[in-house]
Amino acid sequence: MDESLTRRILRGDRRTVAQAISCLEAGDERAIDVRRAIAAHQGRAHVIGVTGPPGGGKSTLVSALIKGLRERGRTVAVVAVDPSSPYTGGAVLGDRIRMGEHQADEGVFIRSLASRGHLGGLATAAADVIDLFDAAGFDVVLVETVGAGQSEVEITRYADTRVVVCPPGLGDEVQAIKAGVLEIADVFVVTKADLPDARRTESELQSMLGLRRNASWTPVVRKVCATSGEGMDALLNWLDDRPQRGLRHASVGENKARTVVTGCLAADNFGQSLGIELVSASAGNVTLRMQVRREHMNFNNRCHGGAIFAFGDMALGLACNSHGQMATLVDSGMSISTAVEEGEWLIAQATEVSRSRKIGSYQVKITRARDDAHVALLHGTVYVLDRPVEVAGSAPQTGATQAQ
Amino acid sequence: MAARPPRVIVTKIGFDGHDRGSRVIAACLRDAGMEVIYTPPWQEIPTVVKLAMEEDADVIGISSLATDHLIVPRLMSALRDAGMGDVQVIVGGIVPHRDEAVLLESGVARVFHPGTSLDDVVAEVRALTAKRRQMQGASA
Repeated sequence: MDESLTRRILRGDRRTVAQAISCLEAGDERAIDVRRAIAAHQGRAHVIGVTGPPGGGKSTLVSALIKGLRERGRTVAVVAVDPSSPYTGGAVLGDRIRMGEHQADEGVFIRSLASRGHLGGLATAAADVIDLFDAAGFDVVLVETVGAGQSEVEITRYADTRVVVCPPGLGDEVQAIKAGVLEIADVFVVTKADLPDARRTESELQSMLGLRRNASWTPVVRKVCATSGEGMDALLNWLDDRPQRGLRHASVGENKARTVVTGCLAADNFGQSLGIELVSASAGNVTLRMQVRREHMNFNNRCHGGAIFAFGDMALGLACNSHGQMATLVDSGMSISTAVEEGEWLIAQATEVSRSRKIGSYQVKITRARDDAHVALLHGTVYVLDRPVEVAGSAPQTGATQAQ
Repeated sequence: MAARPPRVIVTKIGFDGHDRGSRVIAACLRDAGMEVIYTPPWQEIPTVVKLAMEEDADVIGISSLATDHLIVPRLMSALRDAGMGDVQVIVGGIVPHRDEAVLLESGVARVFHPGTSLDDVVAEVRALTAKRRQMQGASA
Protein backbone atom coordinates (compact mmCIF):
# COMPACT_ATOMS: atom_id res chain seq x y z
CA MET A 1 0.00 0.00 0.00
CA ASP A 2 1.69 3.21 1.07
CA GLU A 3 3.61 5.05 3.70
CA SER A 4 0.47 6.11 5.49
CA LEU A 5 -0.24 2.50 6.44
CA THR A 6 2.91 2.54 8.57
CA ARG A 7 1.96 5.89 10.07
CA ARG A 8 -1.57 4.80 10.87
CA ILE A 9 -0.33 1.62 12.54
CA LEU A 10 2.36 3.42 14.54
CA ARG A 11 -0.24 5.96 15.63
CA GLY A 12 -2.23 2.99 16.93
CA ASP A 13 -5.25 3.70 14.72
CA ARG A 14 -7.56 0.97 15.92
CA ARG A 15 -9.48 0.30 12.71
CA THR A 16 -6.26 0.11 10.72
CA VAL A 17 -4.82 -2.30 13.26
CA ALA A 18 -7.98 -4.43 13.25
CA GLN A 19 -8.06 -4.65 9.46
CA ALA A 20 -4.31 -5.23 9.24
CA ILE A 21 -4.78 -8.29 11.45
CA SER A 22 -7.33 -9.65 8.98
CA CYS A 23 -4.78 -9.13 6.19
CA LEU A 24 -2.14 -11.00 8.19
CA GLU A 25 -4.59 -13.82 8.82
CA ALA A 26 -5.54 -14.03 5.17
CA GLY A 27 -1.87 -14.14 4.19
CA ASP A 28 -2.61 -12.33 0.94
CA GLU A 29 -0.52 -9.68 -0.77
CA ARG A 30 -1.76 -7.03 1.66
CA ALA A 31 -0.15 -9.05 4.47
CA ILE A 32 3.19 -8.31 2.83
CA ASP A 33 2.47 -4.58 3.00
CA VAL A 34 1.60 -4.90 6.68
CA ARG A 35 4.73 -6.93 7.49
CA ARG A 36 6.84 -4.40 5.66
CA ALA A 37 5.15 -1.53 7.46
CA ILE A 38 5.90 -2.93 10.92
CA ALA A 39 9.25 -4.62 10.23
CA ALA A 40 11.42 -1.87 11.67
CA HIS A 41 9.24 -1.08 14.68
CA GLN A 42 9.69 -4.04 16.98
CA GLY A 43 10.87 -4.79 20.46
CA ARG A 44 9.20 -2.15 22.62
CA ALA A 45 6.26 -4.10 24.04
CA HIS A 46 6.48 -6.66 26.81
CA VAL A 47 5.01 -9.82 25.30
CA ILE A 48 3.56 -12.13 27.93
CA GLY A 49 2.41 -15.59 26.84
CA VAL A 50 -0.15 -17.40 28.95
CA THR A 51 -0.52 -21.11 28.40
CA GLY A 52 -1.82 -24.11 30.29
CA PRO A 53 -4.44 -26.85 30.17
CA PRO A 54 -8.04 -26.25 29.04
CA GLY A 55 -10.18 -24.96 31.89
CA GLY A 56 -7.10 -24.08 33.90
CA GLY A 57 -8.08 -20.44 34.30
CA LYS A 58 -6.08 -18.83 31.49
CA SER A 59 -8.79 -16.39 30.41
CA THR A 60 -9.63 -15.50 33.99
CA LEU A 61 -5.95 -14.87 34.73
CA VAL A 62 -5.60 -12.79 31.56
CA SER A 63 -8.59 -10.72 32.63
CA ALA A 64 -7.04 -10.17 36.07
CA LEU A 65 -3.72 -9.25 34.44
CA ILE A 66 -5.45 -6.70 32.19
CA LYS A 67 -7.06 -5.15 35.26
CA GLY A 68 -3.77 -4.93 37.15
CA LEU A 69 -1.83 -3.62 34.16
CA ARG A 70 -4.45 -0.94 33.49
CA GLU A 71 -4.28 0.14 37.12
CA ARG A 72 -0.56 0.56 36.58
CA GLY A 73 -1.23 2.75 33.56
CA ARG A 74 -0.23 0.33 30.82
CA THR A 75 -2.05 -0.10 27.54
CA VAL A 76 -2.77 -3.74 26.80
CA ALA A 77 -3.37 -5.73 23.63
CA VAL A 78 -4.68 -9.26 23.93
CA VAL A 79 -4.33 -12.04 21.38
CA ALA A 80 -6.78 -14.79 22.35
CA VAL A 81 -6.40 -17.98 20.33
CA ASP A 82 -9.22 -20.53 20.18
CA PRO A 83 -9.31 -23.73 18.16
CA SER A 84 -10.99 -24.01 14.78
CA SER A 85 -13.10 -27.06 14.02
CA PRO A 86 -10.99 -29.62 12.18
CA TYR A 87 -14.12 -30.58 10.21
CA THR A 88 -15.74 -27.34 9.13
CA GLY A 89 -13.05 -24.74 9.83
CA GLY A 90 -15.60 -22.84 11.90
CA ALA A 91 -14.96 -21.59 15.40
CA VAL A 92 -16.70 -20.03 18.36
CA LEU A 93 -14.34 -17.47 19.80
CA GLY A 94 -15.43 -17.09 23.38
CA ASP A 95 -12.32 -16.23 25.37
CA ARG A 96 -13.13 -12.57 25.47
CA ILE A 97 -16.34 -13.32 27.33
CA ARG A 98 -14.29 -13.59 30.50
CA MET A 99 -12.56 -10.31 29.74
CA GLY A 100 -15.96 -8.61 29.80
CA GLU A 101 -15.18 -5.81 32.20
CA HIS A 102 -12.42 -4.51 29.92
CA GLN A 103 -14.46 -4.55 26.70
CA ALA A 104 -15.23 -0.85 26.79
CA ASP A 105 -11.78 0.32 27.96
CA GLU A 106 -10.04 2.26 25.18
CA GLY A 107 -6.66 1.25 26.60
CA VAL A 108 -7.40 -2.40 25.87
CA PHE A 109 -7.57 -4.04 22.45
CA ILE A 110 -8.70 -7.66 22.38
CA ARG A 111 -8.53 -9.75 19.22
CA SER A 112 -9.68 -13.34 18.94
CA LEU A 113 -7.82 -15.57 16.51
CA ALA A 114 -9.02 -18.96 15.36
CA SER A 115 -6.19 -21.49 15.07
CA ARG A 116 -7.33 -22.35 11.50
CA GLY A 117 -5.72 -25.75 11.60
CA HIS A 118 -2.40 -24.53 12.96
CA LEU A 119 -0.87 -26.79 15.60
CA GLY A 120 1.41 -25.66 18.40
CA GLY A 121 -1.09 -23.69 20.48
CA LEU A 122 -1.19 -20.51 18.41
CA ALA A 123 -2.52 -19.47 15.03
CA THR A 124 -0.46 -19.11 11.86
CA ALA A 125 -0.70 -15.33 12.01
CA ALA A 126 -0.14 -15.04 15.78
CA ALA A 127 3.53 -14.06 15.58
CA ASP A 128 2.75 -11.34 13.05
CA VAL A 129 -0.19 -10.08 15.09
CA ILE A 130 2.07 -9.80 18.16
CA ASP A 131 4.55 -7.78 16.10
CA LEU A 132 1.73 -5.58 14.84
CA PHE A 133 0.48 -4.78 18.35
CA ASP A 134 4.09 -4.08 19.35
CA ALA A 135 4.47 -1.64 16.45
CA ALA A 136 1.10 -0.04 17.27
CA GLY A 137 2.53 1.02 20.62
CA PHE A 138 0.82 -1.19 23.16
CA ASP A 139 2.89 -1.46 26.36
CA VAL A 140 1.99 -5.09 26.96
CA VAL A 141 0.82 -7.80 24.56
CA LEU A 142 -0.89 -10.68 26.35
CA VAL A 143 -1.10 -13.86 24.30
CA GLU A 144 -3.50 -16.55 25.43
CA THR A 145 -2.85 -19.88 23.72
CA VAL A 146 -5.41 -22.58 23.06
CA GLY A 147 -5.72 -25.06 25.92
CA ALA A 148 -2.31 -26.73 25.91
CA GLY A 149 -1.33 -30.31 26.57
CA GLN A 150 2.29 -31.26 26.36
CA SER A 151 3.57 -30.07 23.04
CA GLU A 152 1.91 -26.71 22.49
CA VAL A 153 5.06 -24.81 23.33
CA GLU A 154 5.21 -22.56 20.30
CA ILE A 155 4.60 -19.52 22.52
CA THR A 156 8.17 -19.98 23.75
CA ARG A 157 9.46 -18.41 20.59
CA TYR A 158 7.30 -15.32 20.62
CA ALA A 159 6.96 -14.22 24.24
CA ASP A 160 9.36 -12.30 26.45
CA THR A 161 7.76 -13.88 29.49
CA ARG A 162 6.08 -17.25 29.58
CA VAL A 163 3.35 -17.86 32.12
CA VAL A 164 2.30 -21.49 32.61
CA VAL A 165 -1.03 -21.83 34.38
CA CYS A 166 -1.21 -24.77 36.80
CA PRO A 167 -4.68 -25.24 38.27
CA PRO A 168 -4.82 -27.31 41.44
CA GLY A 169 -6.59 -30.62 41.70
CA LEU A 170 -5.51 -32.27 38.49
CA GLY A 171 -3.96 -35.02 40.58
CA ASP A 172 -1.65 -37.26 38.63
CA GLU A 173 -2.20 -35.15 35.56
CA VAL A 174 -0.19 -32.41 37.20
CA GLN A 175 2.82 -34.65 36.74
CA ALA A 176 2.11 -34.88 33.03
CA ILE A 177 1.72 -31.15 32.65
CA LYS A 178 4.89 -30.52 34.56
CA ALA A 179 6.79 -32.88 32.32
CA GLY A 180 5.26 -31.36 29.20
CA VAL A 181 5.54 -27.62 29.60
CA LEU A 182 8.08 -27.60 32.41
CA GLU A 183 10.89 -26.12 30.41
CA ILE A 184 9.08 -23.21 28.84
CA ALA A 185 7.88 -21.45 32.00
CA ASP A 186 9.35 -18.28 33.44
CA VAL A 187 6.62 -18.32 36.04
CA PHE A 188 4.25 -21.06 37.11
CA VAL A 189 0.99 -19.54 38.24
CA VAL A 190 -1.06 -21.77 40.51
CA THR A 191 -4.58 -20.54 39.79
CA LYS A 192 -7.72 -20.94 41.88
CA ALA A 193 -5.79 -20.36 45.11
CA ASP A 194 -9.09 -20.54 46.97
CA LEU A 195 -9.28 -24.27 46.32
CA PRO A 196 -7.91 -26.56 49.08
CA ASP A 197 -5.44 -28.33 46.74
CA ALA A 198 -3.75 -25.10 45.65
CA ARG A 199 -1.12 -25.15 48.38
CA ARG A 200 -0.21 -28.73 47.55
CA THR A 201 0.16 -27.93 43.86
CA GLU A 202 2.36 -24.99 44.76
CA SER A 203 4.64 -27.05 46.98
CA GLU A 204 4.82 -29.86 44.40
CA LEU A 205 6.01 -27.35 41.82
CA GLN A 206 8.51 -25.86 44.27
CA SER A 207 9.97 -29.22 45.15
CA MET A 208 10.13 -30.23 41.51
CA LEU A 209 12.05 -27.03 40.71
CA GLY A 210 14.40 -27.79 43.57
CA LEU A 211 15.58 -30.82 41.65
CA ARG A 212 16.53 -28.80 38.58
CA ARG A 213 20.24 -28.25 38.06
CA ASN A 214 20.12 -25.82 35.17
CA ALA A 215 21.42 -22.60 36.70
CA SER A 216 20.44 -20.40 33.76
CA TRP A 217 16.78 -21.27 34.15
CA THR A 218 15.16 -20.08 37.33
CA PRO A 219 11.38 -19.97 37.09
CA VAL A 220 9.30 -18.89 40.03
CA VAL A 221 6.00 -20.13 41.40
CA ARG A 222 3.19 -17.71 42.22
CA LYS A 223 -0.20 -18.61 43.68
CA VAL A 224 -3.17 -16.44 42.73
CA CYS A 225 -6.91 -16.29 42.94
CA ALA A 226 -7.83 -14.17 39.97
CA THR A 227 -11.43 -13.70 41.02
CA SER A 228 -10.63 -12.35 44.50
CA GLY A 229 -7.38 -10.72 43.41
CA GLU A 230 -5.28 -12.62 45.96
CA GLY A 231 -1.65 -12.85 44.87
CA MET A 232 -2.17 -10.70 41.78
CA ASP A 233 -0.10 -7.77 43.06
CA ALA A 234 2.85 -10.03 43.76
CA LEU A 235 2.59 -11.51 40.27
CA LEU A 236 2.33 -8.07 38.65
CA ASN A 237 5.32 -6.82 40.63
CA TRP A 238 7.31 -9.82 39.48
CA LEU A 239 6.32 -9.12 35.86
CA ASP A 240 7.29 -5.45 36.30
CA ASP A 241 10.72 -6.39 37.59
CA ARG A 242 11.61 -8.47 34.57
CA PRO A 243 14.07 -6.97 32.10
CA GLN A 244 11.18 -7.20 29.78
CA ARG A 245 11.16 -5.16 26.62
CA GLY A 246 12.64 -6.61 23.52
CA LEU A 247 13.81 -9.68 25.38
CA ARG A 248 12.35 -11.89 22.71
CA HIS A 249 14.35 -9.96 20.14
CA ALA A 250 17.62 -9.40 21.93
CA SER A 251 18.63 -12.20 24.21
CA VAL A 252 17.32 -15.39 22.69
CA GLY A 253 19.22 -16.23 19.52
CA GLU A 254 16.33 -17.95 17.88
CA ASN A 255 13.98 -15.05 18.37
CA LYS A 256 16.52 -12.55 17.14
CA ALA A 257 17.10 -14.70 14.08
CA ARG A 258 13.38 -14.85 13.43
CA THR A 259 13.07 -11.08 13.68
CA VAL A 260 15.97 -10.53 11.28
CA VAL A 261 14.69 -13.12 8.83
CA THR A 262 11.11 -11.82 8.94
CA GLY A 263 12.33 -8.28 8.27
CA CYS A 264 14.61 -9.35 5.41
CA LEU A 265 11.94 -11.46 3.76
CA ALA A 266 9.30 -8.75 4.08
CA ALA A 267 11.62 -6.25 2.43
CA ASP A 268 12.80 -8.61 -0.31
CA ASN A 269 10.88 -7.61 -3.41
CA PHE A 270 12.04 -10.57 -5.48
CA GLY A 271 11.26 -13.12 -2.77
CA GLN A 272 7.83 -11.54 -2.27
CA SER A 273 7.10 -11.61 -5.99
CA LEU A 274 7.74 -15.36 -5.99
CA GLY A 275 5.27 -15.79 -3.12
CA ILE A 276 7.87 -17.16 -0.71
CA GLU A 277 6.71 -17.52 2.92
CA LEU A 278 8.58 -18.12 6.15
CA VAL A 279 7.91 -21.38 7.98
CA SER A 280 10.53 -21.18 10.73
CA ALA A 281 13.85 -19.58 11.52
CA SER A 282 16.61 -19.95 14.03
CA ALA A 283 20.21 -18.76 13.98
CA GLY A 284 21.77 -20.22 10.80
CA ASN A 285 18.72 -22.25 9.83
CA VAL A 286 15.68 -21.17 7.85
CA THR A 287 12.72 -23.06 6.43
CA LEU A 288 10.57 -21.50 3.71
CA ARG A 289 7.68 -22.56 1.57
CA MET A 290 6.49 -21.57 -1.89
CA GLN A 291 3.61 -22.63 -4.07
CA VAL A 292 4.51 -23.29 -7.69
CA ARG A 293 2.38 -20.93 -9.77
CA ARG A 294 1.71 -20.51 -13.48
CA GLU A 295 4.44 -17.90 -13.85
CA HIS A 296 7.01 -20.35 -12.43
CA MET A 297 6.42 -22.88 -15.24
CA ASN A 298 8.85 -23.49 -18.11
CA PHE A 299 7.98 -24.26 -21.77
CA ASN A 300 7.61 -27.93 -20.84
CA ASN A 301 4.98 -27.06 -18.22
CA ARG A 302 7.23 -28.00 -15.30
CA CYS A 303 8.51 -25.69 -12.61
CA HIS A 304 11.42 -23.70 -14.06
CA GLY A 305 14.83 -24.57 -12.62
CA GLY A 306 15.48 -20.88 -12.13
CA ALA A 307 12.43 -20.59 -9.89
CA ILE A 308 13.61 -23.54 -7.82
CA PHE A 309 17.09 -22.02 -7.59
CA ALA A 310 15.65 -18.65 -6.62
CA PHE A 311 13.61 -20.33 -3.89
CA GLY A 312 16.65 -22.18 -2.52
CA ASP A 313 18.80 -19.08 -2.83
CA MET A 314 16.26 -17.11 -0.79
CA ALA A 315 16.47 -19.70 2.01
CA LEU A 316 20.25 -19.63 1.85
CA GLY A 317 20.34 -15.84 1.85
CA LEU A 318 18.09 -15.61 4.89
CA ALA A 319 19.96 -18.35 6.77
CA CYS A 320 23.35 -16.67 6.28
CA ASN A 321 21.95 -13.27 7.34
CA SER A 322 19.98 -14.66 10.28
CA HIS A 323 22.81 -13.97 12.74
CA GLY A 324 22.20 -10.29 12.16
CA GLN A 325 25.48 -9.77 10.31
CA MET A 326 25.35 -9.02 6.61
CA ALA A 327 26.54 -11.89 4.38
CA THR A 328 26.57 -12.20 0.63
CA LEU A 329 26.66 -15.19 -1.71
CA VAL A 330 29.90 -15.76 -3.64
CA ASP A 331 29.47 -19.25 -5.05
CA SER A 332 26.59 -21.68 -5.39
CA GLY A 333 25.38 -24.75 -7.26
CA MET A 334 22.29 -26.91 -7.48
CA SER A 335 21.27 -30.40 -8.52
CA ILE A 336 17.64 -31.21 -9.39
CA SER A 337 16.10 -34.66 -9.08
CA THR A 338 12.34 -34.27 -9.46
CA ALA A 339 10.13 -32.32 -11.86
CA VAL A 340 7.45 -30.26 -10.12
CA GLU A 341 3.91 -29.54 -11.31
CA GLU A 342 1.94 -26.33 -11.01
CA GLY A 343 0.11 -25.94 -7.70
CA GLU A 344 2.56 -28.00 -5.64
CA TRP A 345 4.00 -26.58 -2.43
CA LEU A 346 7.77 -26.70 -2.07
CA ILE A 347 9.71 -26.60 1.19
CA ALA A 348 13.27 -25.27 1.37
CA GLN A 349 15.33 -26.08 4.45
CA ALA A 350 18.57 -24.17 4.69
CA THR A 351 21.12 -25.33 7.22
CA GLU A 352 24.45 -23.89 8.23
CA VAL A 353 27.24 -26.37 7.55
CA SER A 354 30.03 -24.18 8.88
CA ARG A 355 30.70 -20.54 9.57
CA SER A 356 33.90 -18.71 10.39
CA ARG A 357 34.48 -15.00 10.88
CA LYS A 358 34.60 -14.42 7.12
CA ILE A 359 33.25 -17.50 5.33
CA GLY A 360 30.05 -19.50 5.72
CA SER A 361 28.99 -22.73 4.06
CA TYR A 362 25.31 -23.60 3.62
CA GLN A 363 23.17 -26.41 2.26
CA VAL A 364 19.54 -26.16 1.16
CA LYS A 365 17.29 -29.17 0.76
CA ILE A 366 14.19 -28.58 -1.34
CA THR A 367 11.34 -31.06 -1.03
CA ARG A 368 7.77 -31.38 -2.27
CA ALA A 369 5.42 -30.77 0.68
CA ARG A 370 2.78 -33.28 -0.44
CA ASP A 371 4.96 -36.39 -0.15
CA ASP A 372 8.33 -35.13 1.06
CA ALA A 373 9.90 -36.12 -2.29
CA HIS A 374 13.43 -34.80 -2.79
CA VAL A 375 13.37 -32.05 -5.42
CA ALA A 376 16.72 -30.29 -5.32
CA LEU A 377 19.87 -29.74 -3.32
CA LEU A 378 21.72 -26.43 -3.23
CA HIS A 379 25.04 -25.58 -1.72
CA GLY A 380 26.54 -22.17 -1.33
CA THR A 381 29.46 -20.27 0.11
CA VAL A 382 28.93 -16.82 1.56
CA TYR A 383 31.25 -14.00 2.47
CA VAL A 384 30.50 -12.38 5.83
CA LEU A 385 30.70 -8.60 5.74
CA ASP A 386 31.81 -6.38 8.56
CA ARG A 387 28.44 -4.70 9.18
CA PRO A 388 25.01 -5.55 10.55
CA VAL A 389 22.06 -6.56 8.40
CA GLU A 390 20.12 -3.54 7.22
CA VAL A 391 16.54 -3.82 6.14
CA ALA A 392 14.90 -1.07 4.12
CA GLY A 393 12.18 -1.51 6.72
CA SER A 394 9.00 0.46 6.57
CA ALA A 395 10.05 2.92 3.91
CA PRO A 396 8.07 2.27 0.75
CA GLN A 397 10.11 0.70 -2.02
CA THR A 398 10.03 2.73 -5.17
CA GLY A 399 10.95 0.02 -7.61
CA ALA A 400 14.54 -0.21 -6.38
CA THR A 401 15.60 -3.56 -5.05
CA GLN A 402 16.81 -4.23 -1.57
CA ALA A 403 20.54 -3.87 -1.00
CA GLN A 404 21.44 -7.43 -0.17
CA MET B 1 -4.20 -18.86 0.45
CA ALA B 2 -7.66 -20.00 1.42
CA ALA B 3 -10.44 -17.43 1.63
CA ARG B 4 -10.96 -15.89 5.02
CA PRO B 5 -13.99 -17.35 6.81
CA PRO B 6 -16.77 -14.87 7.58
CA ARG B 7 -16.33 -13.26 11.01
CA VAL B 8 -19.65 -12.87 12.75
CA ILE B 9 -20.55 -11.40 16.12
CA VAL B 10 -23.55 -13.01 17.77
CA THR B 11 -24.76 -10.86 20.62
CA LYS B 12 -27.67 -9.40 22.52
CA ILE B 13 -28.13 -5.78 23.57
CA GLY B 14 -30.52 -4.42 26.16
CA PHE B 15 -32.01 -6.12 29.20
CA ASP B 16 -33.37 -9.30 27.67
CA GLY B 17 -31.47 -12.40 28.80
CA HIS B 18 -33.11 -15.07 26.63
CA ASP B 19 -30.00 -16.36 24.90
CA ARG B 20 -30.94 -19.85 23.75
CA GLY B 21 -31.64 -18.55 20.25
CA SER B 22 -28.30 -16.80 19.94
CA ARG B 23 -26.51 -19.95 21.05
CA VAL B 24 -28.29 -21.99 18.41
CA ILE B 25 -27.34 -19.44 15.77
CA ALA B 26 -23.71 -19.31 16.98
CA ALA B 27 -23.39 -23.11 16.75
CA CYS B 28 -25.06 -23.17 13.35
CA LEU B 29 -22.73 -20.52 11.89
CA ARG B 30 -19.70 -22.29 13.39
CA ASP B 31 -20.80 -25.53 11.75
CA ALA B 32 -21.07 -23.63 8.48
CA GLY B 33 -17.34 -22.88 8.76
CA MET B 34 -17.59 -19.33 10.08
CA GLU B 35 -15.68 -17.67 12.91
CA VAL B 36 -18.21 -16.64 15.50
CA ILE B 37 -17.43 -14.18 18.26
CA TYR B 38 -20.07 -14.99 20.80
CA THR B 39 -20.99 -12.79 23.74
CA PRO B 40 -23.37 -13.22 26.64
CA PRO B 41 -26.51 -11.05 26.70
CA TRP B 42 -26.77 -7.53 28.17
CA GLN B 43 -24.07 -5.95 26.01
CA GLU B 44 -23.99 -2.18 25.74
CA ILE B 45 -24.04 -0.53 22.33
CA PRO B 46 -20.58 1.13 22.59
CA THR B 47 -19.15 -2.25 23.64
CA VAL B 48 -20.62 -3.95 20.57
CA VAL B 49 -19.20 -1.22 18.32
CA LYS B 50 -15.73 -1.61 19.85
CA LEU B 51 -16.00 -5.39 19.65
CA ALA B 52 -16.97 -5.28 15.97
CA MET B 53 -14.09 -2.93 15.26
CA GLU B 54 -11.41 -4.92 17.10
CA GLU B 55 -12.55 -8.23 15.66
CA ASP B 56 -12.96 -6.76 12.15
CA ALA B 57 -16.39 -8.36 12.03
CA ASP B 58 -18.22 -8.68 8.73
CA VAL B 59 -21.66 -9.21 10.22
CA ILE B 60 -23.28 -8.50 13.59
CA GLY B 61 -26.21 -10.72 14.50
CA ILE B 62 -28.51 -9.27 17.16
CA SER B 63 -30.84 -11.69 18.87
CA SER B 64 -33.93 -10.12 20.37
CA LEU B 65 -36.93 -11.68 22.08
CA ALA B 66 -38.29 -9.00 24.38
CA THR B 67 -38.41 -5.65 22.53
CA ASP B 68 -34.64 -5.13 22.54
CA HIS B 69 -34.88 -4.77 18.77
CA LEU B 70 -36.20 -1.25 19.40
CA ILE B 71 -32.71 -0.04 20.37
CA VAL B 72 -31.07 -1.52 17.28
CA PRO B 73 -31.44 1.80 15.36
CA ARG B 74 -29.19 3.33 18.02
CA LEU B 75 -26.61 0.63 17.34
CA MET B 76 -26.85 1.45 13.64
CA SER B 77 -26.12 5.13 14.15
CA ALA B 78 -23.33 4.33 16.61
CA LEU B 79 -21.72 2.13 13.94
CA ARG B 80 -22.04 4.89 11.35
CA ASP B 81 -20.61 7.45 13.78
CA ALA B 82 -17.61 5.18 14.25
CA GLY B 83 -17.12 5.02 10.48
CA MET B 84 -18.23 1.41 10.41
CA GLY B 85 -21.25 1.70 8.16
CA ASP B 86 -19.91 -1.21 6.10
CA VAL B 87 -20.51 -3.73 8.90
CA GLN B 88 -23.70 -5.62 8.10
CA VAL B 89 -26.30 -6.07 10.84
CA ILE B 90 -29.03 -8.67 11.01
CA VAL B 91 -31.70 -9.06 13.68
CA GLY B 92 -33.37 -12.32 14.58
CA GLY B 93 -36.08 -13.26 17.05
CA ILE B 94 -39.43 -11.81 17.99
CA VAL B 95 -39.83 -8.68 15.90
CA PRO B 96 -43.40 -7.52 15.18
CA HIS B 97 -43.89 -6.99 11.47
CA ARG B 98 -44.85 -3.35 12.03
CA ASP B 99 -41.37 -2.75 13.54
CA GLU B 100 -39.48 -4.42 10.74
CA ALA B 101 -39.66 -1.39 8.44
CA VAL B 102 -38.19 0.81 11.17
CA LEU B 103 -35.22 -1.54 11.52
CA LEU B 104 -34.63 -1.83 7.78
CA GLU B 105 -34.88 1.93 7.43
CA SER B 106 -32.22 2.37 10.13
CA GLY B 107 -29.82 0.29 8.03
CA VAL B 108 -30.43 -3.27 9.27
CA ALA B 109 -29.76 -5.63 6.37
CA ARG B 110 -32.28 -8.31 7.24
CA VAL B 111 -34.75 -9.34 9.94
CA PHE B 112 -35.33 -13.02 10.60
CA HIS B 113 -38.59 -14.12 12.15
CA PRO B 114 -39.49 -17.37 13.98
CA GLY B 115 -39.58 -20.36 11.67
CA THR B 116 -36.63 -19.19 9.56
CA SER B 117 -34.52 -22.10 8.33
CA LEU B 118 -30.92 -22.14 9.53
CA ASP B 119 -29.80 -22.62 5.93
CA ASP B 120 -31.36 -19.27 5.05
CA VAL B 121 -29.47 -17.61 7.89
CA VAL B 122 -26.17 -19.14 6.74
CA ALA B 123 -26.77 -18.10 3.12
CA GLU B 124 -27.65 -14.55 4.15
CA VAL B 125 -24.57 -14.19 6.39
CA ARG B 126 -22.38 -15.42 3.52
CA ALA B 127 -23.95 -12.98 1.10
CA LEU B 128 -23.63 -10.07 3.54
CA THR B 129 -19.99 -10.97 4.23
CA ALA B 130 -19.28 -10.83 0.50
CA LYS B 131 -21.10 -7.50 0.27
CA ARG B 132 -19.16 -6.00 3.18
CA ARG B 133 -15.79 -7.15 1.85
CA GLN B 134 -16.65 -5.69 -1.54
CA MET B 135 -17.46 -2.36 0.13
CA GLN B 136 -14.17 -2.54 1.99
CA GLY B 137 -12.25 -3.36 -1.17
CA ALA B 138 -13.85 -0.39 -2.89
CA SER B 139 -12.88 2.02 -0.12
CA ALA B 140 -9.36 0.67 0.42
